[in-house]
Amino acid sequence: MPLTFRTLVIFPGLAVLASTLAAQLPRDLAMERSGYVLWLKEGPNSPLAAVAQQKVGGGLRLGPADADIPLPGISEHRVYSSGSSLVLEGPDGKRPVGRGAPHRIGKYALYFTGPRPGLVLTVFSDTSRREPPGYYDYDDSMVFTGPLSRSKTPSQMRVLASDGIEVEATEVGSFVVPLGGGTSLRVLRIPVASGDESELEIFFRDASNGKGTYPAGRFVSLRPLPNGQFRLDLNRARNPFCAYSSVYPCPVPWRGNTIAVPVQAGERYEGGGLEAVPAAKEAR
Amino acid sequence: MTFLSLALWGALAFETVPSPVGHWRGVLDLAGGPLRFELEIQRAGRQLRAKLCNGSECQTTDARIVGDSLILDIADYAATVAGALRGDSLTGSYRNVGNRGPRTIPFRAGRGRWPKSAAPRTLVGRWDATFLQDWGTSPRVFELRNGPAGLEGTIISNTGDYGHFAGSAAADSFVIGRFDGSFVYLLTGKLAGDTLRGIFHAGLRSQTPWKAVRSTGKPHLKSPLEVTGADTTAPFRFDFQDVDGRRVTNDDPRFRGKVVLVDIFGSWCPTCHYAAPELVRFYQRYRARGLEVVGLAYEVTGDTVVDRRQLRRYRDKFDITFPLLLAGINDTEAAAATLPQLRGFTSFPTTLFLGRDGRIRRVHAGFYGPATGAQHGRLLREYEREIKRLLEESVNSESEQ
Repeated sequence: MPLTFRTLVIFPGLAVLASTLAAQLPRDLAMERSGYVLWLKEGPNSPLAAVAQQKVGGGLRLGPADADIPLPGISEHRVYSSGSSLVLEGPDGKRPVGRGAPHRIGKYALYFTGPRPGLVLTVFSDTSRREPPGYYDYDDSMVFTGPLSRSKTPSQMRVLASDGIEVEATEVGSFVVPLGGGTSLRVLRIPVASGDESELEIFFRDASNGKGTYPAGRFVSLRPLPNGQFRLDLNRARNPFCAYSSVYPCPVPWRGNTIAVPVQAGERYEGGGLEAVPAAKEAR
Repeated sequence: MTFLSLALWGALAFETVPSPVGHWRGVLDLAGGPLRFELEIQRAGRQLRAKLCNGSECQTTDARIVGDSLILDIADYAATVAGALRGDSLTGSYRNVGNRGPRTIPFRAGRGRWPKSAAPRTLVGRWDATFLQDWGTSPRVFELRNGPAGLEGTIISNTGDYGHFAGSAAADSFVIGRFDGSFVYLLTGKLAGDTLRGIFHAGLRSQTPWKAVRSTGKPHLKSPLEVTGADTTAPFRFDFQDVDGRRVTNDDPRFRGKVVLVDIFGSWCPTCHYAAPELVRFYQRYRARGLEVVGLAYEVTGDTVVDRRQLRRYRDKFDITFPLLLAGINDTEAAAATLPQLRGFTSFPTTLFLGRDGRIRRVHAGFYGPATGAQHGRLLREYEREIKRLLEESVNSESEQ
């Protein structure tokens, strides 16, 4: 019986699992990666399908070649604030639009994300090329357990999250990895989803940047353990979305978060191969 | 083992997949520990259905077998639970997708039911809790009680409850959780002296320490009547279309001279689902005496066709006979813009009580669901008392004129 597409959908981790079994990739990481790769390849809001991103600001014009966001084959649409509402206006009339859900115009899906002010529109295309990322072999020497040294006075700041959206983050402390003679990494709590959920994130650079990994650095989550300690698994290092498409702004590297030795673990970057096709070029 | 042999192994399992029907002990493996829930797979004709239960509260969703895996489709939240069936075990993941990619949480289950476990008296009751967040503190109330499924409870914030939790206790420690296909919550705690301390887990990795002392009865949370302010000098105005596209306004004859409950809700909002049957009950009981109810819905997509379809499902689910109007999208700020007579609108649901003159007499932010036990009952009695008061007051004031 041949391997079917259905089997891959059912058990999407199979390919990743098979290729990395020798390296003893933990089951949860295999599952996480396979889900992420599947989303990058097929998700309607995958950064590999992004063709444009802009702040809504005082309003945006979409469609024609001279618009703020040219969308080939799409007649003129406008996005603007009306009171506290956000309105999408096109030839078929006006409709209110909300955050986090897709709004379709032809083959394009519009997503509005981020808080007001600073609301951001990202446009995705069904037909964009999808080249998923590659990963280094799993390396268990890149997994570290230790305490989180908490700040006495956690400070709040606005930073770009991995998706290029500005968020209100809290600097909660630092975590030391025994690499490069010992490197203290700043840890920020970054909100995700709604209300109660957040991640402890580290945006770091290392000596592999530009030589196998993304030049601007990578994100990795610090994971709490039941015993009060924390685990930093650099095999889980992942690219900011600006690595996938130039439509995303890149976060400014966080001060001091540089590991002096190469971290050849986690997501790789081959350079340019992941780039999505800009909408304006797509129709040519 | 090669990729091919793995593939063949997976493919052969197609032919020998065991029946998933029956009870399962479900677990989501969060970073801070296991979140337990009950799962029951039922067969209805050729269809499979799944019941996700937190103690005595269950919800039903579609289930199917694909290859060697059981898939639960949780359509309301665009989420799936998938697990490969191997004899008496299920192993896989729970997934839903946000803007930064999928949220994936390991899932496993074994056949059978979780043992029931009650808590000692020292743990049950009402606790005034303080969440110790990085940027400050915020109040919560915990209700812990022994129910038919063992230890049950809920968490209450300023604007409502987190739904029904269930779990177990051992000596001076407890753990209760809630997984409904969208929310992933786990509350662990331990009593030391007079103080409970523990961790609130949200999603795979968010952890918030907390401490709690036994409630003295003094208010610990902000009153739901103080959250949202209102312009009470003029009649409350609304002008939207119903699920069939008919325009409905506050000036319509059906509302004239009536006491009106305005339910500001969304079909996507779990707490609103708890409030809806109660509003239906009040409507049936007091309609003849002059009560009207109208629902102002703030839906997800902004696509009128899709949102009206969701609203019709909601109407049919609760046998709602009062009008449901599509008022906007579920963006709090956008919704607030359509309700200029309210100040500080932050919560779904919010219930407005209008007197017969159409003016707002009371604004209740949030709703305490059945998981809050006594508080749920008290809230319903308050609602009923207020409805009766407004019905009688208005009759009196009209007779005085």
